[in-house]
Amino acid sequence: MLTATRPPLPIISSRKLAFPPKFKIPRQVWVSNMDTVEEEKLGLIDLHPEVFAERPRLDIIHENVRWQQLYRHVSYAHTKMSYEVRGGGRKPRPQKGSGRSRHGSIRSPIWVGGGVVHGPRSPKSYFYMLGFNARLNGLRSTLSAKLAQDDLQIVESLDIPTDDPKYLEALVEERGWGPSVLFVDDHDIMPLNITAASDAYGHYNLMPVYGLNVFSMLKHTTLVMTLSAVERLEERILFHLNRNDAAEATAKYKLSSV
Amino acid sequence: MASVIARSIIMKQHSGAHRLSFATSIKIKSCYSSYAASPKEKSPENYTRYHEVSSENWKFVERLRPHLLVPSYPTDRNYASDWIPPSDTPPNLPYFVKRTKNFMVPVYLNFEEVRNARKITIIRHIEGDIWALEQAIKSHLENVTKKPVVSRVHEVAMHIKFRGDYVNEVKKWLMNAGF
Repeated sequence: MLTATRPPLPIISSRKLAFPPKFKIPRQVWVSNMDTVEEEKLGLIDLHPEVFAERPRLDIIHENVRWQQLYRHVSYAHTKMSYEVRGGGRKPRPQKGSGRSRHGSIRSPIWVGGGVVHGPRSPKSYFYMLGFNARLNGLRSTLSAKLAQDDLQIVESLDIPTDDPKYLEALVEERGWGPSVLFVDDHDIMPLNITAASDAYGHYNLMPVYGLNVFSMLKHTTLVMTLSAVERLEERILFHLNRNDAAEATAKYKLSSV
Repeated sequence: MASVIARSIIMKQHSGAHRLSFATSIKIKSCYSSYAASPKEKSPENYTRYHEVSSENWKFVERLRPHLLVPSYPTDRNYASDWIPPSDTPPNLPYFVKRTKNFMVPVYLNFEEVRNARKITIIRHIEGDIWALEQAIKSHLENVTKKPVVSRVHEVAMHIKFRGDYVNEVKKWLMNAGF
């Protein structure tokens, strides 16, 4: 069994919160290691309540999930209109004299085999941008829900001693981290060992903090974040909550914007 | 500009010629959108000199630049407007109304129907027992206006709406409560 040599614990004992909350108490979480399969608690840190202890808004979470699924959806369903259906250029019979009803074309919508009037016309894009604050509060609600339901784990870093996939599986099973795990780090180039180990499994996924999104957080049972990822995430969310030029950020999304 | 220079050079060289042979003469090749083809930067001596006037005067530039984050309010003076800062200790009540990031009380006047003069007063950023807050503000408004007040509590979004324009009364009540 691999044992890590470490200085006396706790290694991480305090964390200064940016924009210290006035009346809300910070939430405390353990910081674990990834060096050994057994969990070793390295310290206790504070998490900002405005990021991790917001009242989860299920309607906003739903809006975010719906947006993430729909904004890139293109419907290719297509029906032909009267003028597109083959044939139907000639008047089937003279206007008067036959005793039957009058028609101008055999492909008009009232005929069997004729065109469809208001049917789907491909390609149809379902792109839309959810408002900035809806997306921001979606992240806050989901993070708060994850923490409240004991599905948020903080680790020191994603360095593991071997690239054996079995090590990662044993670690996750030992700690009860749920079937699927999303590992989030600050940098988008992950350590080699965890990249190789998690590559064997579709349910262990790595993600940089800029890719964090509501859908992925809900899809994976457990969210494992590194300390640097937590720092970066809190800094960005708190900046957006306290920025002076919110009008610029929350302006209507323009496709032509650079 | 380059083509003008090229043409003037050609005119000098073929002063007697009646026709300009631009294609066979000087080729000006400066493509500034491509790194490989654009002229490289020279050492600083080739460019206009600059000198620092004063580094103490930079503060006059800095105070004109926009703030990235909302600056805090000054605490050392009285304010001429109705605005009072939030209290430093939380009021001993089962609810809390947080100020906006610009330290304003989150009470707004809405017109929610088109072509209709119906006014709605909305209180946002409520935490805690929203029903107790609604009861407290409703009884206060009924005392002040001597009329029944219609309200609506939205527990998910955590806001309260009153039918009518009671923005100033609600703001005053909240500020006096210390929120």
